[in-house]
Amino acid sequence: MSRFVSVARGVAWRSIHNTLVNPAILVPSIVFPLFFLIAFAGGLSRISDVPNFHYPPGYTAFQFVFVFLQSAAFGGVFTGFAVARDFDSGFARRLLLSAPRRSGIIAGYALGALGRWALTGTVVTIAALIAGMNVDGDGIQLVGLLGLGIAVNLAAALWAVGLAMFLRTEQAGAVIQMPVFVLLFLAPVYVPLSLLTGWIHDVAKLNPVTPVLEAGRGLLAGSPVKVTIAFVGLVAAFLVLSAFARRGLASAERAG
Amino acid sequence: MTREPAIEVEKLVREFRKGPRAVDGIDLAVAPGEIYGFLGPNGAGKSTTVLMLTTLLPPTSGHATVGGFDIIRQGAQVRATIGAALQEAALDAILTGREHLMLQATLQGLRSPERRERTRALLERVGLTEAADRRVGGYSGGMKRRLDLALALVHSPRILFLDEPTTGLDPQSRSALWEEVARLARDEGMTVFLTTQYLEEADVLADRIGIIDHGHIVAEGTPAQLKANIGGPSVEVTPAEPDDGGRLTELLSQFGEMRHNGNGSVTVQLPGGEAELADIIRILDRADLRVETLQLQQPSLDDVFLAQTGRKLEGSADGAENEGDAPAPEGRRGRRRRGR
Repeated sequence: MSRFVSVARGVAWRSIHNTLVNPAILVPSIVFPLFFLIAFAGGLSRISDVPNFHYPPGYTAFQFVFVFLQSAAFGGVFTGFAVARDFDSGFARRLLLSAPRRSGIIAGYALGALGRWALTGTVVTIAALIAGMNVDGDGIQLVGLLGLGIAVNLAAALWAVGLAMFLRTEQAGAVIQMPVFVLLFLAPVYVPLSLLTGWIHDVAKLNPVTPVLEAGRGLLAGSPVKVTIAFVGLVAAFLVLSAFARRGLASAERAG
Repeated sequence: MTREPAIEVEKLVREFRKGPRAVDGIDLAVAPGEIYGFLGPNGAGKSTTVLMLTTLLPPTSGHATVGGFDIIRQGAQVRATIGAALQEAALDAILTGREHLMLQATLQGLRSPERRERTRALLERVGLTEAADRRVGGYSGGMKRRLDLALALVHSPRILFLDEPTTGLDPQSRSALWEEVARLARDEGMTVFLTTQYLEEADVLADRIGIIDHGHIVAEGTPAQLKANIGGPSVEVTPAEPDDGGRLTELLSQFGEMRHNGNGSVTVQLPGGEAELADIIRILDRADLRVETLQLQQPSLDDVFLAQTGRKLEGSADGAENEGDAPAPEGRRGRRRRGR
């Protein structure tokens, strides 16, 4: 167990360290969520005037939850890019060789993703508060929202790390990113699910991201909805994607 | 009591899809504290063998233990026992040398004070103290190799794998690395499994050598044994006066097989070994035949490779050329040469 922890700690430290000292990684991971927040919450704020749009904390808070969870998901996805880069550069082989307990590598990358997102999530939250976001939820509800973000981040990281280990090339970037991108944007991003119509409503209703997003918005508004289903879904995703990442690692081990 | 081999390999095979058998049923055993040189041309199967023994590549079939642990079933224990510097020194350009060592120490589970102390000591040992806090992206090839070796030693492994460690190094860096490898085996009792395509490297460093070609081990033994198996030494004698060539041939005819080199120069085999050199000198002295040069020639590992495979070892000429300037490590060379 201690070997697992030391491997995870080492890999996580490198992942966070490289993010912090490399502007090429750090700046986009902060700028993109901020851009989305400004563009969606600012530029589309009149959407809240649509009849039957009911979200008491306001449109900035409504969009903040999406951007917050999106940055969590992409924090995980970007970690997959880093894994793919490590395979291309040969550094992954060093990790495989140096790690007595190799499953610690997956845990380390996932913790690294969490560390990176901690920074992005904090910046996005501060920006939203400066922009005048109302927060109606209590402390426990806000911890719940944070928990959703952490779970989304870890699930996305496990997906991205697993796939990167299967494909082992930087060219896998699009394949890693696309499903997460599609799932996120086929959720009720700009308006509540009830205001969507046609095929987009049907797809959003089936989209597993929808209850997570609705739970997050409910927690921020102080009127929780679908929290249990969101967490159960995320725990299930975590378990399935853990197994997927472990298989990715096994594939990398077989390939040598 | 016989000691358990540090590395034991039985019928190890690695097949690649749509490719040949890179390693085709090799057997070998390396004793604790031994430097084992794995010599062969590019594509012979050296690196594939190392990848399997370091648990980076599963074998197709066969069995191997490293440090007493099975490479398939006990990979974690094998990795905790070994250090390895592979052909490509895969380093993170963003990290400094010190950060690399600290990371490696963390991965190996060293505690914080030990991590710092080990990092400091290894940086000093490989001569990177001054460059320790510079990013590795700015290191030269030799510095990267030295850091790679230090990384392999962080957790004081019992067994060290070095896959072509001096490829691309200048003679000075090569010599320094030879010294360090020899010191590790001599002073710390470390077992070293060294792959190389450089004849002199194997000859100077290794206690025993395995020659691999097309995935098969074609010869194995100490350098002296391997050379002895293909014949004894020879001596080349050049008379001061080319006209004395006939007399020289007559005087040396009682020794082994003879070859004429022109200008009266003669090369004669010494079936009785180097001891016959004294007899030759006495005979020439008695006959009052003045000699311009007299040169003892030992069979080389290239001759061994040629005898076993019918081919010269690829790149050996380049290797020999480059290695010519790199002095051999004192301790190791001295110790082994006395044994020959």
